[in-house]
Order: sequence, then C-alpha cells, then structure tokens
Amino acid sequence: MQESIKPPVEVKYKEELDALKSNDTGRCPENWRLSPKAVRAFILGSTQPIEYNGKEVRVEKKYYGNDALVERCIVTLAGNRGLMLVGEPGTAKTMLSELLSAAISGVSTNTIQGTAGTTEDMIKYSWNYALLLAKGPSREALVPAPLYIGMEKGILTRFEEITRTPAEIQDSLISVMSDKILNVPELGEQGFLFARPGFNVIGTANTRDKGVNEMSSALKRRFNFETVMPVREVAVEKQIILNEVNKLAKESNVHMKADEDVAELLASTYHELREGVSSYGHRIDKPAAVMSTAEAVSVYYQTMLTGYYYGEKRMSVDCLVQNLVGAVSKENKEDLGKVREYFNTVVKDKSGKEGGLWKQYYDARKWLK
Amino acid sequence: METILRREEMAEIMLLPIRHHSPACSLQIKKMIESWKPSSILVEGPENANSLREIMVHEETRAPFAIYYSYHDREGKLSKEKAYYKCYYPFLEYSPELTALREAKKRGMEAAFIDLPYGDILAASREGKGLLKDEEKNSYNDDYLLSRNTYIKRLCEKTGLRNFDEFWEKYFEINGLYEEGDVWFSHLFTYCSLARENTPPESMEEDGCLKREAHMAAKIIQCAMAHGAKGRAEERWEEDLMAWMDPYRILVITGGFHTPGIRERLADGRWEETKRLLDNPSARIPKEDQSVYLMPYSMEAADALNGYASGMPFAGFYQKVWEGIGEMDAPYEKAVLDMLVSAGKEVRKKEGYLSTYDEICAWQMAKGLGELRSKPQPGAYELLDAVLSSYIKGEYNIASAMPMLVLKKQMTGRGMGSLCPLADVPPILHDFEMRCKAFGLKVRSTSEMETVLSIFSSRKHRNESMFFHQMVFLGTPFARRVKGPNLQQGKDKNLIRETWKYKWSAEVPAALIDVSVHGATIEEAAASLVGERLKGETGAGRAAVLLTQVFEMGLSGQLEAVYERVQELIVQDTDFYSMAEAVKALTMMEELSGLYGSALEISRLLLESVRKLIGLLPSMAGIKEENLPSCMDAVKMLYQITGKGSDMEQEKEAYFGALDEMCRDEGIHAGLHGCIWGILYGSGRETAIEVEKACLGYLTGTRGQLLQTAVFFRGLFYTAKDLIFIGGKILEMLDDFFGKVEENEFMELLPQLRMAFTYFTPGETDKIAKMAAGLHGKGREDILYRKEILPEWYAYGRELDAYARGHMHKA
Ligand SMILES: Nc1ncnc2c1ncn2[C@@H]1O[C@H](COP(=O)(O)OP(=O)(O)O)[C@@H](O)[C@H]1O
Ligand SMILES: [Mg+2]
Repeated sequence: MQESIKPPVEVKYKEELDALKSNDTGRCPENWRLSPKAVRAFILGSTQPIEYNGKEVRVEKKYYGNDALVERCIVTLAGNRGLMLVGEPGTAKTMLSELLSAAISGVSTNTIQGTAGTTEDMIKYSWNYALLLAKGPSREALVPAPLYIGMEKGILTRFEEITRTPAEIQDSLISVMSDKILNVPELGEQGFLFARPGFNVIGTANTRDKGVNEMSSALKRRFNFETVMPVREVAVEKQIILNEVNKLAKESNVHMKADEDVAELLASTYHELREGVSSYGHRIDKPAAVMSTAEAVSVYYQTMLTGYYYGEKRMSVDCLVQNLVGAVSKENKEDLGKVREYFNTVVKDKSGKEGGLWKQYYDARKWLK
Repeated sequence: METILRREEMAEIMLLPIRHHSPACSLQIKKMIESWKPSSILVEGPENANSLREIMVHEETRAPFAIYYSYHDREGKLSKEKAYYKCYYPFLEYSPELTALREAKKRGMEAAFIDLPYGDILAASREGKGLLKDEEKNSYNDDYLLSRNTYIKRLCEKTGLRNFDEFWEKYFEINGLYEEGDVWFSHLFTYCSLARENTPPESMEEDGCLKREAHMAAKIIQCAMAHGAKGRAEERWEEDLMAWMDPYRILVITGGFHTPGIRERLADGRWEETKRLLDNPSARIPKEDQSVYLMPYSMEAADALNGYASGMPFAGFYQKVWEGIGEMDAPYEKAVLDMLVSAGKEVRKKEGYLSTYDEICAWQMAKGLGELRSKPQPGAYELLDAVLSSYIKGEYNIASAMPMLVLKKQMTGRGMGSLCPLADVPPILHDFEMRCKAFGLKVRSTSEMETVLSIFSSRKHRNESMFFHQMVFLGTPFARRVKGPNLQQGKDKNLIRETWKYKWSAEVPAALIDVSVHGATIEEAAASLVGERLKGETGAGRAAVLLTQVFEMGLSGQLEAVYERVQELIVQDTDFYSMAEAVKALTMMEELSGLYGSALEISRLLLESVRKLIGLLPSMAGIKEENLPSCMDAVKMLYQITGKGSDMEQEKEAYFGALDEMCRDEGIHAGLHGCIWGILYGSGRETAIEVEKACLGYLTGTRGQLLQTAVFFRGLFYTAKDLIFIGGKILEMLDDFFGKVEENEFMELLPQLRMAFTYFTPGETDKIAKMAAGLHGKGREDILYRKEILPEWYAYGRELDAYARGHMHKA
C-alpha cells in the first residue's frame, strides 16, 4: 500500500529529469542518462531554473549538508568501483541511492533488499521451472534478478542493507564486481554475461547493524565507502523537515503548509539530543535510539495529519510531544527518561528565556509519561 | 586597472592586493614587476623591520623564516602591567612579499616596509583585539580579514564550495596560473572591496586597521612626493627629462583587505594632510624597547591550520605546487598525484592494505572531481576527497582515519628554514653560545650527547646543571634530564648526580629568539619569566613547584620573592590537592636544601603547609571516586612526614586526630577508610583484629556496603598490604566476599580489585594465590590452567586499543 502512495523517484521528479536531460551539454559516461554535472544538479539543485517545454523548471536541492560527498559518489559511480553508503539509520542513504540511480540510469527500482533470508537467487537469477522442464536451460527460462538486470542493461543495481545478508551471500558479488562477468554454468558456452557499460552497484549499510554480518575485506576492496553523517546544523535540519513535510503533504493532498517555528523547535530537539549538548551549553544524556532527521520528519508529519483531520488545520504542540514520545520510546524505555530530563533542563530554560512556542512546548511535558 | 593611480604632476602608483602565502599571488607579482618595471616597491610590514630586508633576500637564507617583533613595555605605555609583547610575520618560499623583495633586489629597485612599527600597531589596537589578542602566538598576517565576513559565507553557499580556502583555491590560485595579471588582480580587488564592505567599520578601528592604513598611505605619499616631478629640483630638470617622460613608478603591495582602504585615502586629494601623520610622534613607542629579528620557522607553524597563523592552509602542498610552476603545464595535477603516491606509500608502510589499484582509483577520483567542479586542475580539496573515498575502507571514524592524518601531515609539510650567517641574532643567542663554550658542550654535533654532573660536589657541574635547568624552563628543545633527584615529583632523592642529554638543532635558536624579549642572557630571561609566572600563580602547590624550579636553576635573585609568595599562598589557599602538592614539593626540598647549599628556611614553609593540610584533612572524608588516588597519596605522605622527627610530634597528634575524625564520618569513602585503617595498623595504633572488624562491617552490611568492600581492600592494601599474609583472616574475608557477589557485580568491581592487587609484587600475588587455593582445598597447580581465550576476544581488544589510541591522538 505504501508503495502505491510513494512513486519511484524517477516518476516523482520526471519533469526535472527531462528538463535536465534536454539542457545537458556535458559529456556522459557510456549508458548514463545524464552527465555528471547534470546528476549533481539534480541532487544538489541548480541556481537557475531551466527552460523546458516552454516552462521554467526549478531543480530543487534534495540532499543537504555535504555537497562534496554527493560529488564523490557521482565520480565513484563513473569509475570501476561500487559505491557503499554507510551511516546511522535515517541519514538519507536510501534516498541518495535512489536519487543517484534515477538520475544516472533512469530507474531506481532495480533493487535487492538485504535481509537475513536473502539468497543468491534473489541477487543474480533464478529459473522458471516450468520452462526449464519444458525446454531445458535457456535464456528464456532464466529469471533475471537485479544484479543480472543491471549488467544486461548497463544500469545501476541497488543493494539495500547489505550487511543484513549472510557474509557468503554478500561475497557472491565479488567476482561480478571485479571481472564484470557473470557466469551461468547451466547455459554452457552461452552462459557468460558481460556487463554493459553503465553497470555498477550502490550498496547501503547501517552502522548500527555493525557486527551482524561485517563485510569481508575482499568485498570491501570493491567499493569506495562514503560515511553519511547526520546533518550538523539546526538550520539545515529545519529546512529538510519543512521541505520533506511539504512534499509529503502535497503528495497526499493535505492542504496545509509546514510551520517554520514548529520545524525549528523539532529540529533543535533532535539536534540537541543527538549531539548531547544544547545551544545554551547544557550537557544532556544522549538517548540510545537514533535521533534521525527522518524520524523528525515523520514526527512532524504525523502531528500535521492529526491537526489537518481533527484539529482545524492547526499544529498542536501537545500532539507533537505525544508523537515524540512514541518515536523515542519505540526501542527502549530508558530513553524517555532522558527526554524528560531534556525538558526539565533545556526546554525549561528556553521557555523562560525565549517564551512563545518554547513555553507551550514546556507546558506539554505532561505527556512525557 | 582600478588600482593604478595617476597624477600628472606626481609619480604613478599601482596598488596590488595580495593574500599572504599565496603561490598565485607570487607568480602574478613577479610578472607584474617584470612588465611594469616599478622604480620602488613598498610592502606591507612593520617599518622597523627594514633593517632585515637585506638578510631576507640573501641567497643563503632559506624560507620558512619569520620576522620576530618584540616589545617590552617598560614605561607602561600600553598598560599598567608593563608587559612583554611579541608577534611573528612568517614567510614561505612562495610568499608574495618575499618574491617582491627578491625581485627588487635582483633588478636594483628600491624597496621598503611601510606599516607602523610593531609597538605603534599595538598602541593603535584596542585591548584584546588585533595584535593585542590574548593568544599564545600572534601573527602579523591579517588574512582573516578576507575570510571572516558575511559575504564570503553566502558566496560559498552559492558556489557549493565548503569554505573560503576552497573558494580561493578554485577562483584565484588555480586560475591565477593562467589569467592575465590585470584581469586577475582586478578580480581580486573586487573581491577584497566586497569583503571590506561586509566588515563592520568598528572592528577595523578596533584592531588598528585604519590607523595602519593611514600610515601606509602617508608613506606612499612621502615616496611619491620625494620622487615625483614636483619633488625634483628645477635645475636638474633637463637631466631628468627622460625620467619626466617616463614617470617614477611606485608599486605598493599590501594584504588585499587594505588595498581599497589605502586607495580611498590616496584618492581623496588631501595628500599634505595625510603626509603630516608622519610628523606627529605623539603616540610613538620608544624605539629602544622594541626589537626585530629574523628566526628560522617551521612549515608546521606556518600552516594556517595550526591555529595561530592566518595565511593559507596546506603549506607543504602549495610548496609543491610552487616548485612545479614554470616547470610544467599542470603543477596542481602533479602535486596532487605526488601526494597521493607519497601518502599511499606511508599508509602502506603503516597498515599494509593499500594497493596500487587504490592509488589509481584515488587519482581518478581527484581528476573526476576536478572536472565535475569545473576546476582547471584538481587541487587540495580534490586530494583530500580522493584519499577519503579511496584509501579508507569501511566506515570513517577515529579508528579508520589514519590515511587522512597521514595526508594532512604531508600537506602541512615539514622542516625549517635557515638564515644566512650574516643574520643578526639577539644577545641571548650569543650568551647561549658563550655558555656552551664555557661548559665545553659539543653543540656542533648532530647526535645527542650525554653528560653526567656531580651537582653537589662540583661547583662547575652545579653551574652547568643550572644552565640546563634554565634552558628547560625557557621551553627550548635543547636538554633533558634523564636521571637525577627530581624535586617536583619528589623522586630519586638519594641520587647525587644528574645525567643530561642535549642536542643542538635549528629549533633551539628559534626557541631562544622566541624568548629574547625577556632578557639578554639565558639567566635574565629565565628570571624574568619566573616573575611573569609568579604573577599568575594563585595556588600554593604550583607556586611551591615554581620554587623548586627556581632552586634548581640557581636563580638566587628570584628565590626570596617566590618564597614569600609561597608563604602567602599557603595561608590563602584552601584547596586540599594544591596544598598536598605544595607539601610534596617542599618535603624533598627541605631534605636536600643542605646539599644544594641553600640558606632559605624551607622547614618553616613545610611546617606551615603540613599544618594547613592536616587542618583540611577531615573535610576530605566524602571524596569522589576520581580523587581517591591523590587523596590516599596525601594521607600516606602526611604519615611519613609527621613520623619523621621529634619536631613534628605535635603535628603527628593532630594528624591522627584528623584521621579519627574522618573515620567517624558516616559518609567516608570506603577506599579512604581502608587506607586509614592500614595506617592505623601500621603505626601500631590498632591491631589486626580491629582492622578485620572494620572490614567485617562492610562485608556484613547492606548490599551497597558489601559492594564497597572491594574498594576498601584497595585502600587497605595501599597502606598495609602485609596484613593479607598475617593470620590469613583478611584473605578469608576476601574469599568470602567473592562468594557473596553476583557475576555481573563482580565484573563491575573488577577494576577496583585489580587496583587493590597492583600494590603486590608478582611473587606476592603468587603466594596469595596459593593461599587462596588452599582455602578451597586445591594446590597451586590446580589454578594454573584456564580455559583458552578466543582469538576474537584478542581481535576485539586490539580494535578497542586502536579506537582508544585514535581518540587520544585526536585529543
Ligand atoms: N541530509 C539530508 N538531506 C535531505 N534529507 C534528509 C537528510 N537526512 C535525512 N533526510 C530525510 O530523512 C530521510 C532519510 O531516509 P532514508 O534515506 O531511508 O535514510 P537511511 O537509508 O539512511 O536510513 C530522507 O528521505 C529525507 O526525508
Ligand atoms: Mg535505508
């Protein structure tokens, strides 16, 4: 159900992608839909709107906080190594991987989802047994999986949460990535698939999963790693919340605009709890759970939906705090105590000094049970 | 160009903006001098350094070096403190100012520094601003003016560059290799004007910026009027006809931020008025209290990333670029490639995992990024990005960051410059050489020398030791004591000789020049620094340590003042640990003062501080865990001191009274409690039975108390470890204790228990183990075998170690 609501990136940003393509003068690596500079513009935004079909198309900035990282990702993908995005949950690894795939290959859906149950079939290929029995091993009977598809078409294959799959399954990538050849022994002489240019792999791995199935060093050598960090500045985090929430609202026909002040409040809360220190200099115990920007977006959006449907289109601070409680106490009950402590020190002081929304926020601490 | 000012009756003046330490600026300046052929080159820099220009451009002088300016405010013109001031003006091989001075020499042009003298800049600055900033090292470079404004912040956001330095490299450094001089300088001038417009005028006033610009403008006018047509005598008119057609040209080179300011002043037409600034000596700082010297400087210190300098970062990287300019088409590419390879080599040596293929990938990354970012060649930031993405495997964190550290070191560069033999040095360096000669020290050797000094029997040796101690105190990297009585740590008091190692290096004169403002001889500088140190001292402990240093340095003139200050502070100071430090420092001094031949009454100081410390003792019962070791130290030390002689009889009673009081305190820390019981037992005031009873109190107490037993043992063994071998009761209790705690509790207490057993020698622990085995009816052999330890545990331990090391490295 979620899938049908959320269209793939290449559909969602079709107009931007088309506009960039029509104006792209840069040189493209073979089989890339866009030049590296246009890919960069797609993810980091362009300063000037683009003329397309008699319209001015704005290319908005989609990933915030580290332009250099995005540039490195693009250059890596044009080279011989895969790209591995590692970091805490909610740092936009998946988002980046989708944006890159959509811009470079035109599709973001050629994806392997890593789980403990992922098998080699789900990565490379499997067989249509009816055809296999009827006609024997042939290309027709072969059901390609994302890696095979990527190689055959010369597009990117995404591998989500790679460290959740067993190490020996991960390692089946090694030979493909180093030789760019996939051998299907059942097909005999015809069984060699040579990767077309444009093929590469983007993996994502969650550092909180570390140790589950640590990647082998042989596999690590096939990738350039990029460590994606949470955003550093409250102002940027606030901007992300506003953008994302407004986008979500638009997609679901919720006619309400995100409120700057509330976004700032929430961004500060997440930022300070994550860093363990407030803007006033209080030292705070950090919750064990990840205080991710993605989580902040979702807390905000839930609150907005409640306000839209049940609350005369207004954001309620009480509701915000309730959703915050739900989010932080999901994993671990002790974290709630830390948030309460945060309210009793930081929010209290801010309510005294800044008043307004901070005061309402402090008054809503009764929900921190 | 906007920066050329023409006045038909005067000389022609060209103002060129620069950024310190910029290779592109250097290149452009060189070209401009070639084509414009100025008659005179005026350079930003305090004018009292004009005497040094000769040496700076001497062919045997090698950068990096710095001009060292100092001022001793003897007359209290800047503040009541009559303080010492110093600052540095560092030059690299490719500093534009140096290039200009060298070109001037080569072409026989006149040259001069035109800024206010150092002392007057200080006088023009507001407290805590500009060169009066309260920093360890102040740099004359003021490029921060170009990078710290609201305008550049927005500019970086717009251009997608991470900071001013990347912006600068892209638009000015790399482009600077290709662009025509007048285009390049006018872009730079525009940038500087915008930077200036976005800087609040108050801050320009506060850091003396405006006064300096006025002075520089006046100097330019002075030069123009002296040489311009109007300045010439009528009768020489004919001879100078050629010159008349070909006007006198003045090239002015200043930090870009100042160029628009100076330009404005020169354009306002009030030349006479501006020039009169030079006649007004009112705020003048006495010349004789200021001095300037050249000193060798290190790449590390010149690198802006090291905090104090404000030129460009990555001095070593740009040095490479500079060497490539003119030699090859793409000096940046070459420098990036070289550094990828040399960093790769070092990483491989350290960890061994890096392959040639990694280097190829890194090189492709650097080039690809250069293209993507529309830079004509990859630069410092592409180099950093390339190593980050291709040399680091796995998550980037402190444990995996080694390749970045290696790279950054190489980008900073290493090594020091040197001065030609003609360079004048401050008197303190002459003194140093004389003293070395007098003591027969081999300072020309490149290897470390060793000398053993019988400080108590040979006057000459004692003098030599004093000299070494003074050098150490001055912070010079010349000598270190490897053996000998250590008054500060209260160690090795039975040694009667000191062993010193010493070695001369280029850093020694640099360090001496650095303290030359404090005096003309080593001894004088040390004495003056003692005075400075004393002013800031508020704790008895640190002051007492200083007293021991003065003692070792043999600065008899300072002894009394420091002695008095210690005495004062003993009365004022109420910090227990500071007092304990004082007692520790004074104890050994008192014992050795006979040997050192001192007439000071150290015993009086010691007595006073012991009394004070005993008085503070009872309030220490409920200390925090982290203070336990230092507190136990103090308790044990007091026991030893008060037990020493009949003159401490009274203090001894007070001491045991204090211990008594502490034991009666409900909130006493269990470790301290154990420590005190050990002393009571050792002094014969309590029997072993009583100690066991106290111990039992913890063992049979509430759960919380029971768990305290571990730290109680730690304290007890610290002062009376032999208790464990007597009667065996204590060991039984320990055994009993282990039986009572749960496994997870045990793990938590383990650190304390470990500490408790560090006081035993290996032989003793063996014996204890045997006794313990006996309690369970086992022999010594039965406990020697253990389950194997899994290799993963070791691996984990190693990882943990690396992580911790990385952390410490960062800190
Ligand atoms: N730096 C960022 N820039 C833009 N959006 C971000 C950023 N960090 C987090 N987000 C938001 O959070 C979401 C992160 O989700 P996701 O990509 O699933 O994270 P991950 O895969 O790292 O767990 C994004 O969809 C985006 O809405
Ligand atoms: Mg994800």
